[in-house]
Amino acid sequence: MAAASDARPARWYIPWILLAPGLLWLILFFVVPLIQLGRLSLDGGLSNYTTVFSDNAEVILRTFTFAAIATVACIALGYPLAYVIAIRGGRYKNALLALVVLPFFTTYLIRTLAWKILLYDGGPVVGLLRFLHVLGANDSLLSTNWAVIGALTYNFLPFMVLPIYVSLEKVDRRLLEAGPDLYASGWRTFRKVTLPLSIPGVFAGSLLTFIPASGDFVNAELLGGDGQTMIGNIIERNFGKEFFRPELSALSFVLMAIILVGVLIYARLLGTEELV
Amino acid sequence: MTDERDEAVRAWSRRQFLATAGLGGAALAFLAACGSSGGSSAGTTTTAGGTTTTGAGTTTSTSTGTTVPETSGDSMRFLNWPLYIEGDDASTSPTLTGFTEANKIKVDYRPEIDGNDSFFTKYEPLLKAGKGIDADIVVLTSWLCSRMIKAGYVQELNATTFPNKASIVDRLANPTWDPGRKFSIPWATGQTGIAYNKDKVDGPITSIADILNPKYKNRVTLLDEWRDSVGLFMLEMGTSPETGSVADALKAIEMIKQYRDKGQFRKITGNGYAEDLALGDVWIALAWSGDIANLKKDNPSLEFILPPKGAMSFTDNAMIPIKAGNKKGAELLLNYVYDPKVAGPLYESIVYVPPVKGAIEAMTAEGKANTFINPTDLTLLHDFRDLTAAEDEEISRAFVAATQQ
Repeated sequence: MAAASDARPARWYIPWILLAPGLLWLILFFVVPLIQLGRLSLDGGLSNYTTVFSDNAEVILRTFTFAAIATVACIALGYPLAYVIAIRGGRYKNALLALVVLPFFTTYLIRTLAWKILLYDGGPVVGLLRFLHVLGANDSLLSTNWAVIGALTYNFLPFMVLPIYVSLEKVDRRLLEAGPDLYASGWRTFRKVTLPLSIPGVFAGSLLTFIPASGDFVNAELLGGDGQTMIGNIIERNFGKEFFRPELSALSFVLMAIILVGVLIYARLLGTEELV
Repeated sequence: MTDERDEAVRAWSRRQFLATAGLGGAALAFLAACGSSGGSSAGTTTTAGGTTTTGAGTTTSTSTGTTVPETSGDSMRFLNWPLYIEGDDASTSPTLTGFTEANKIKVDYRPEIDGNDSFFTKYEPLLKAGKGIDADIVVLTSWLCSRMIKAGYVQELNATTFPNKASIVDRLANPTWDPGRKFSIPWATGQTGIAYNKDKVDGPITSIADILNPKYKNRVTLLDEWRDSVGLFMLEMGTSPETGSVADALKAIEMIKQYRDKGQFRKITGNGYAEDLALGDVWIALAWSGDIANLKKDNPSLEFILPPKGAMSFTDNAMIPIKAGNKKGAELLLNYVYDPKVAGPLYESIVYVPPVKGAIEAMTAEGKANTFINPTDLTLLHDFRDLTAAEDEEISRAFVAATQQ
């Protein structure tokens, strides 16, 4: 009785006041530019969208292939890492997490430029690979798919590790102990218990990796060559030319649409109900 | 308060698509509502706006010249490209400190222009609205100067405050797009030729044909400024960038595409080639003379040559935008630089061909002997002709399709 009278009815405007700053921010800096971009992309008609596909088919395909491979590589590298930190990290947990985040204390640009110094023809990596005859005497690593996909993976890895870590960390340990108690092997426990419970982390990590990797141009610009041009590079190099803007705006929407569809399919595949 | 507003105006102007988005009108109304930009320009009484301001400078000076001098302050702002003043630093540059001492005008020097397209994208909405861009001097490449003059975005130079204008070298004195140099004055000229690493290639590279040799596959870069790349290939094919047709340019692009498909070109880049050339991954590059002159200091194995069939030249020109707060200061500065005694050491330091008569004579023996500053054969150099917007678009599109997509 007393408790009920203490709980005052929430005032209707409270949520709105809380929402207002974020909402205004997004309307001003996201919705308004998006609408303008949409109008610009239709300047000259819907044909901009068809031209974009016919002119950039190869670049579009390459962009999503690079982003997808980098995302898969991030899962392959990031999941075991997150697993060890979360489940076996013990008292080193925080220190290990700090190490994962440490590269972020330098800027993205410097990290990518540093790769250039590592991968150039006279650098240590090419030297080693040539010595091992993995690379021929005249082969390079810069201006290859390896360099760009590798750097995308490197630059976005922490975005994969952290969400997976959080989801593994939340897993009730008693569930993990129940597996062997019920005579499941270690692998089976992982497959039936640990993995499903950490899928939300994998999903979140994949979004945080795949989406920015699809729109990235820095890695391809600095480490790639003619054969590594991504959608971001096409937009970045040509947006200054006025007559290109409608097509490039259309290209931005195509990029957005493909990402959206890709994410929806992925969510469906992993089972969305527990993810949101 | 005003400063905050100015920031808002500038930030808004960066939203590049606004003016072209079909919302142009609304955007411009917004800009207009934001009031005058630039603290120093607020004091001038110039009323000309929009596209008819080309004569504004002189009009103002005659109408108010007797009571209020054209200069409205003891400071001015100068937007330039990197490496176009000694040390890129106003506080130590002998040219700028000398000017400040002589004229008591402080120069807010900003080497922040990194591309013609990006400059135009950023500032065009303001200029189109007849607003100032809070700069007294801007330096841009000829083709963009031509466009800005046609659109009425710049002011005529006043010969009374700028008598040294007469010292401009003959070769640059009368471009088709600005006869008599009424609105623009060359700041620096350079050459687009071929740079190569002599430790990596077999024997000297002397022509465009040499860079297409299959043994240099995937070791050659082209420039993404199409006037430079296409111009050099046109000259190789025996057509002229000065008088040639769009079809000639398209044929050169076809040739570029043919070799790109064979994997000859590692990259099509802007300034990025310099780094790769210095690292040794790129052996041969279409290159700008000034970049190589600077790179050579640390990389003595780099060579720069002009192909015998002809090379491209580029000229970056200083102009005074409309609504400049200190037009007279800008003219005084240009006048100061156009004194051969000032220009000699300046151009020797930045390693560009001086556009000022007598400047080379004012250099040291070393400077005079440097072919980056004093090219032996000026007849090899060509400029791309002034193109109409439609021609520009056609060639641009073909080049992007052939080199990026």
